[in-house]
Parts: sequence; C-alpha cells; structure tokens
Amino acid sequence: MKTTSPAYILGFMLAICTAFGTGIASVHYATLNMLIKNEKLHKNRIICRVFNLPVAGVSADAFQKAINDTITREQITYQGRAWDVYKQKDTGNIGFIFSGTGFWDRISGIMALSSDLSKVINIQFLDQKETPGLGARIEEGWFIDQFKGVLVAWDQPVDKRIIVGPAPNPNAKNRVDAITGATQTSLALMRFLNSELESFRKAIKEWREKTMLEIPPPLE
Amino acid sequence: MAYTPKQVFLNGIWLDNPIYRQVLGICSTLAVTNLLANTLFMCFGLIFTTALSNFTISLLRDYIPKRIRMIVQVLIISCYVMMVDIIIKALVPDIHRFIGPYVGLIITNCIIMGRAEAFASQNKPLLSLFDGVASGVGYSLVLILIASVREPLGFGTLLGMTLPARDQWWHSWIIMVMPPGAFFMLGLFTWLARRWLVREVKS
Repeated sequence: MKTTSPAYILGFMLAICTAFGTGIASVHYATLNMLIKNEKLHKNRIICRVFNLPVAGVSADAFQKAINDTITREQITYQGRAWDVYKQKDTGNIGFIFSGTGFWDRISGIMALSSDLSKVINIQFLDQKETPGLGARIEEGWFIDQFKGVLVAWDQPVDKRIIVGPAPNPNAKNRVDAITGATQTSLALMRFLNSELESFRKAIKEWREKTMLEIPPPLE
Repeated sequence: MAYTPKQVFLNGIWLDNPIYRQVLGICSTLAVTNLLANTLFMCFGLIFTTALSNFTISLLRDYIPKRIRMIVQVLIISCYVMMVDIIIKALVPDIHRFIGPYVGLIITNCIIMGRAEAFASQNKPLLSLFDGVASGVGYSLVLILIASVREPLGFGTLLGMTLPARDQWWHSWIIMVMPPGAFFMLGLFTWLARRWLVREVKS
C-alpha cells in the first residue's frame, strides 16, 4: 500500500496512537501507587507543618501517626462546596484547605486559625505553579512566617481582612509584606485568601450552629 | 552525507551547538536558568526526550507518511515528555512541584523537533539516538553555564546553597532572576562562543 493513500495514513495514525497511548498508560499504571502515596505524604507533611505537630521520624507512617494522635478531620458542606476541616485536639486550632487562582494557575494550601477565627496560626501551600524565583517564593519560610500571628480584621471589608503588600498603616496587625518582583501573585493571594476566609467563616458558623457547638463572632 | 559518531557528537556539543549556533530552544533557556536545580532536571528531561524521540522517529522514518510527518513527530515527542513527567512526579515529587510546569514545555522545544526533522528522519536509528544525546548535552552545557551565573547573581545561592557571608557583601540583582537577565546572559554567551570558541567555516 502506498504511504500517501488515505487508508494508510489513517491506519498508521491509529496504530501509532494506540502504541504510544498504551505506553503512557503503562507508565502511569506502573507508578500509580507511588503517585497516590506521594500525594498523601505531601498532604500529611503540610498538615503537620501547618499545626506544628511533633513528628517522630520522616516516614509516611510517622506523619500519619502524628495526625491521628492530634488532629480530627470533619467534612462540612456549605452551599454545595465541601470543606475539609482539621481541628487540633489540644489547642482547638482549626484548619481548612483553601484554593484560588494565582498569576499562572491554581494555588492551594492549608490555613490554620485560632478556634475563634481571630488569628492566623500558620499557612502552608499544597500546590502552586507560580514563576520559579518570583511568585513561587510564596512557599519560602520568610514569606510564610509573616502570617504567623496575623490578626484577621473581621471588621474590615472582605478584601482587606488580610493585606499582602503595601497598606496605609505599614504596621497593621493584619498585613504581611508582598514578594518583590511578584506583585501579581501577591495580589492574587490576598484576593483569594480573603474570599476563602469569608466563605469558610460562613461555612463553619452554619456547621457549629448545626452541631450545637460554640458560635463564632457574629457576621457583620 | 554520512556522519560518523564522533562528528555527530562534536557537532551536537560544540560546532553545531543547538543554542549558540542553531539558536534553538531559546524559550526554555530564558525560562529555567534562574535556578540551577531546575535547569538540571530540565536538561535531564530534554536529553531523555531528544534521544528517544530521535531513535523512534528514525526507526519509523520509512513508514511515516511524508504529509503527516510533523504531526507524528509531535505525537511521539509528546508521549515521551508525558512519560518523563510521570516518572519525575513519581520518583522525585518535591522536584516535580518546582519544575512541573516546565516539563510540559519540553514538547514545544525547537531542538527536539529540529533534530527529528533535520537528522532523525534521514539517518539510521543508533546514529540518531547519538545525535539526540549530543544535542541534549550541548543544550545542557550552555544552560548549566548560564544558570551558574544567574543564580548566584540573582539570589546569592548556588544549587540552593547560600554563598559564604552573602548578606555582608552581596546585594541580589533582581534582573538576573527575570527574563531580561537571561537575555543578557544568553547574548553575552553567544557572542563569546561565536567569537572565540567556534571555528567559523570559511567558504
């Protein structure tokens, strides 16, 4: 058969797509368990880091044990969205998974707050694809450390409760420095963190009312 | 023209280097060279993909219909890149979190397509494999050199390790972290390479 005939071209494409598709599927299947384990380990590491849990070792089991011993997990649903809520047994600190659109792609992470939601205990990122060396520096210790102890200004408008970058009062208790050269990532982070905080507070308020637990500060 | 493995190797690495002679693969050179660790994994991915895609395309060269050869080449290249992506994600997930976005970009790297079209589609499989490795190594050497300058100047680190007493004597050049810094370095390196390293062919 001539290599220029439509039947040959169609057959060739079908064969090559099948062969390479099978190749990729095989590699994916062979590494599937590793990928699942890696994802779980990464998430557990982040949870331990955000709640500052003591971990005896670096194995996956050590991280899982630290979480089992000190953290309870609940899933609550509010307006169709499911929230994973982590609660530290001894301190009552509460954590949730946030996500939003960064400069390039989605950024997700876990934020831990005090039990009355007034103070940020810690923040850690699960996934981000910002510019290496610039926006990707949101994962660096110096940037994350700024959030520890930041007060959430619930009396301010929704988009100003946590400020990332310049503010009229540079010493404000709800402000952290932005990243030089990554203004768009910093602004995006501020935007979706505030939006997620607002949604989470509404979700947790409803959940606490339902479960007859303590009521968070009233909504303005 | 028949090539010997030695010629192929010298061409890929030195005389016909993809970066400063063929001016291919410039996008990734600008994008990943602000950190040496990212550069190294990008280079690994590119060498793997160039070598195997060259080998496969050469193996199939007599069967690939001419009219759709570029579609087939892109398909083969994409499959190898996806495999590299999955393997890095499974074996070194922490590194993958940093360079994941760039691994996908290997598909659009002109060197792979360029070598597939210019060499692999006209030469024997083993020689094509060798050409892929040589081109990948030639690309890698240039990227590693540029990253070795950009990272210390931009961050005051090398492979993530802080330079001695950096805070006392060094102020980071933000421009070296950003794409203009890569343009300056690439232009400077290309000029030096073409001026002193490469013997121009005079005809």
